[in-house]
Amino acid sequence: MQLFLQQVVLGLLIGGVYVAVAIGFSLVWGILNIVNLAHGALVIVGAYLTWLLFARARLDPFLALPIVAVALFAFGYALQRALINRVIRAPLFFTLLLTFGVNLVIVNALLVIFKSDFRSVTPGYSGSGFGIAGVQVPYIRLAALGVAVVVAVAVGWLLNRTRTGAAIQAVGADRDAARLVGIDLRHVYALTFAVAAACAGVAGGLISTIQAITPTAGEPYTLQAFVVVVLGGLGRVGATVVGGLVFGMVETLGQTMVPGLGAGWANAIAFAILVLVLVVRPQGLMGRIA
Amino acid sequence: MMGGTTRFTGVLSLAAVLALACGGAGGGGAAATTTTGEDLVIGVPMSITGSQSKEGALAKQGYDMWLQWINQQGGINVKSVKHKVQLKYEDDTSKADISAQLTQKLITEEKAQFLLGPYGSATTASDAVVAEKNSIPMVEGNGAAQAIFSQGYKYVFGVLSPANVYLTGVLDMAATLSPKPATVAMLAADDNFSQEVAKAVTEYAPSKGFQIVYSDKYPNGSTNLSGLVANAKARNPDIVLNSGHLQEAIAIHKAAKDLKLDAKLSAYSVGPSTPDYIVALGKDANYVFDGSQWTPQVKYTPAFYLTVQDYVASYKKQFNTQDDPDYHVAESTAACLALQKAIENAGSLKPDKVRDALAALNVTTFFGQIKFDSRGINTFKPMVVEQIQDGKHHTVWPSSVADTKPQYPTPSWSNR
Repeated sequence: MQLFLQQVVLGLLIGGVYVAVAIGFSLVWGILNIVNLAHGALVIVGAYLTWLLFARARLDPFLALPIVAVALFAFGYALQRALINRVIRAPLFFTLLLTFGVNLVIVNALLVIFKSDFRSVTPGYSGSGFGIAGVQVPYIRLAALGVAVVVAVAVGWLLNRTRTGAAIQAVGADRDAARLVGIDLRHVYALTFAVAAACAGVAGGLISTIQAITPTAGEPYTLQAFVVVVLGGLGRVGATVVGGLVFGMVETLGQTMVPGLGAGWANAIAFAILVLVLVVRPQGLMGRIA
Repeated sequence: MMGGTTRFTGVLSLAAVLALACGGAGGGGAAATTTTGEDLVIGVPMSITGSQSKEGALAKQGYDMWLQWINQQGGINVKSVKHKVQLKYEDDTSKADISAQLTQKLITEEKAQFLLGPYGSATTASDAVVAEKNSIPMVEGNGAAQAIFSQGYKYVFGVLSPANVYLTGVLDMAATLSPKPATVAMLAADDNFSQEVAKAVTEYAPSKGFQIVYSDKYPNGSTNLSGLVANAKARNPDIVLNSGHLQEAIAIHKAAKDLKLDAKLSAYSVGPSTPDYIVALGKDANYVFDGSQWTPQVKYTPAFYLTVQDYVASYKKQFNTQDDPDYHVAESTAACLALQKAIENAGSLKPDKVRDALAALNVTTFFGQIKFDSRGINTFKPMVVEQIQDGKHHTVWPSSVADTKPQYPTPSWSNR
């Protein structure tokens, strides 16, 4: 029982990371209708920025998060404005191709700059935590879950409580109608992508404290973000939070607690659930029926 | 530049022939010892870019060290004719299928007479097929999976110890420690190499009196292994072993600290021997063991080439670094030495003659003994066990080559 509780806690904690990664991905997909294959690369850019600030300026990784978010916001805005806006109305295939290309460029630029050495942000409190009834809760992972929730709440507030958010949602709902009421589409597109990139940067900062990073470490996260968004349901922050936590839980319990199976089956279990959701509830666990 | 070298040596050899002819005419031909022959072309597919570019760069350093040395000696001596060496590199972008294509290109277009191996078991396995098909000897130092050598190939030779002995040395050492550990948790990635390492451990452990209390495998490249570490902790093992790669070795060690898994001994097949591991984990990396092909502290008496100390010094000078060469560098240089010695022993550049000389090779180098079994892999060199002590790598087993004693048992996380 103690072991089961421990696994549930671990599942929730890793789920927090998946939430942080998937929020930006969901935003870009839901509003811009772009499946951003460079999302994982943006996450790793955030991770490297956090590492740079930690290694060179001895800045605590959690204090570095706002700086990383601002930097990625600017980068995301420029990227969308200069590049991705050009294919925004093109068929899905072109946007896939372009973001795949952007992914390659970013990853290889990181390889040139940082080499493929493994880097890790290891502050003094790394690995410490507290235990309740034999169940260990590491501080860093708990803080990562906390940050993910804060990011989710902030993005939810931005979308639902501000004029900018209303404009973003309007663009997501109907581009032409949004333009008719005077919304600057190119700016709103860029703004949306910038917010998503900032979220990716924060997720990367969290990841740099819990695993070793290399320039190619982002690719699995693009896939995980995709699964989380499908699982939760597209277009709502709350759905992404549920999707991320459920995915983290299923992955961890599937790896460890299913008798007769081993961790080698973790991916198979996760994707079986994905297929099941698509068949039974195609709008996602929390999605609205369109 | 290569073309220039070829022309230059061409002129040299012409001059040498003329000089010999004149000497002969003069009737005084006393000690015409060696002449210079054509350059020898050796093909090398290598991970210059891509996911294994880090390790690929290390392997290339090992090859380049030998290249500089052998050409300073005037080349490989084949029956008193010295052949300077050219290494032709092709970037396989760390992908096995591309590596195989480039190996064929090296043979047919670049006219490579021999091959040195790429980096990694997967690329080596696919290049081996090409080497065998073309009957071109390939000597490799960076693919330890036995699957490469179970195909009945005749032209493929590996100078490194095979995967199945990567962690058995750790168990040998553990059996001598006091208090003797009794239980083992074994985690392994699901790739070929890691599974061979793990299988050997589960077969070998009972014979040394260890009980395997937990064993599981995870997808290669996993970064979230906390769940498995929690499972291992529930079995309270004395020894935690991992057979995987650097990324997973870091993930498991971080999770062990997160979850307060207090093993008496932790050993990981690949990872801890790299400087990255210590940088990534800081002082948490202390006490960790690993099985290593070679360390800069080993004591072997080489029959030719450099001693271990000279090798380390020469490495630092050539690459202008303070770092010691790690085993990727050393095993790559060792592959070159095996090929060189076999060519010299064969007294021929014919592929089949050199192949036979490789099969019969038995020589001790700075890397240890190089001798191949009937499959073509070096089962005669022992693995050494390293431990990280106070942020530095030390060789702790076997005691004949060790520079210090193992620190054991590992203190619990709350006491360090």
